[in-house]
Amino acid sequence: MQVKTLRRWNNILHRDIGYLCVGMTLIYAISGIVLNHFKSGDFLHPDYGKSYKDFRAPLPGNGKADLAYVNSILDLTGQKSSYKSYITGEGYLQVFLNKGFIYIDLTTGEAQMERKTTRYVIKEMNTLHYNNLKHLYTWFSDLYAAGLILLAITGLFVLKGKNGILGRGAWLTAIGIILPALFLLFYT
Amino acid sequence: MTKQTLLLLILPLFFAAACNTGGKDNSKALKNDTTRLTVMTFEKQADSCIEKPVIIEGTVLHLCKHGGKRMFLVDGTDSIRVEVTTGPKIAKFDEALMGSRVRVYGTLKEERIDAKYLNEWEAEVKKPVENHNVGVHTGAKGHEDQGVQEKLDQINALREDLKNSGKDHLSFFSIEADHFIELK
Repeated sequence: MQVKTLRRWNNILHRDIGYLCVGMTLIYAISGIVLNHFKSGDFLHPDYGKSYKDFRAPLPGNGKADLAYVNSILDLTGQKSSYKSYITGEGYLQVFLNKGFIYIDLTTGEAQMERKTTRYVIKEMNTLHYNNLKHLYTWFSDLYAAGLILLAITGLFVLKGKNGILGRGAWLTAIGIILPALFLLFYT
Repeated sequence: MTKQTLLLLILPLFFAAACNTGGKDNSKALKNDTTRLTVMTFEKQADSCIEKPVIIEGTVLHLCKHGGKRMFLVDGTDSIRVEVTTGPKIAKFDEALMGSRVRVYGTLKEERIDAKYLNEWEAEVKKPVENHNVGVHTGAKGHEDQGVQEKLDQINALREDLKNSGKDHLSFFSIEADHFIELK
């Protein structure tokens, strides 16, 4: 087969696999940024945005953190409509809300309310990125990964000449390989 | 020819139906065999149910934020926490379950921790990049954000427990969930 024909097939493959991979690439890239920062400690949870409010709660009058006390805390915080359940632990009470919770230190009265908001779309992207779905999706994502490998290899040969793999392309490709290797070298 | 083709199409359906009936019988057998556990008596009951189908109800205290692969159930107080992990049919436990009462159907699993395991865990913790999944998950507040020293303290405490137990291993029980329902 002639080099010209090979390049033509290479470019066709690169173009079509590129189209096929766009959706999954965006999913992995966007959730990748979120998971990256979650792992670095910038986000408390990948699927939910969380905010905290500290306040001082009155301690239970009869010394018991019972439902009456929980109701008084819900009144105080205006969260009665989103009450779910409560549990007690050693020196603390945790009241669960539909989107968050209230944590009270029963020795000091220091309390904190967590409110969370769902990161819609991102949450679904994370589910795909983590492969929580398993089953057929495992094969589908393997197929996507294989597509990416093909995309990378065919990408090397799209252009010829001074911008191709024998010219500027070689330098850029080398940089792309050396940079992650340097991170490994310095951080491990 | 048409009849033969039709027969070829229908035959697999019969096989499928037959297989399906078998599945129903199996699930009935599974139900009869299932032990109902409670959070408060879990530790006492677990020993006799290893690798057996179980049902348990409890309030979700905590969900692991790293992929939602495990949650911890309590009953009124957090003195006893039962670990539940996702089985093959469950994608993840959503954090929205926190505080919900759930009924879990699953299989009771035992994890044995011996001196070798603790040594390996210690080596893993001391590495610069540690693996979150290694070790014992307790479900206690902040257990996922433990520092190296806290983890080493936990390992040493387990070594002490192991020594005091007089056995060559410690048993940690959990439930691998097949499915679960949120109770209203």
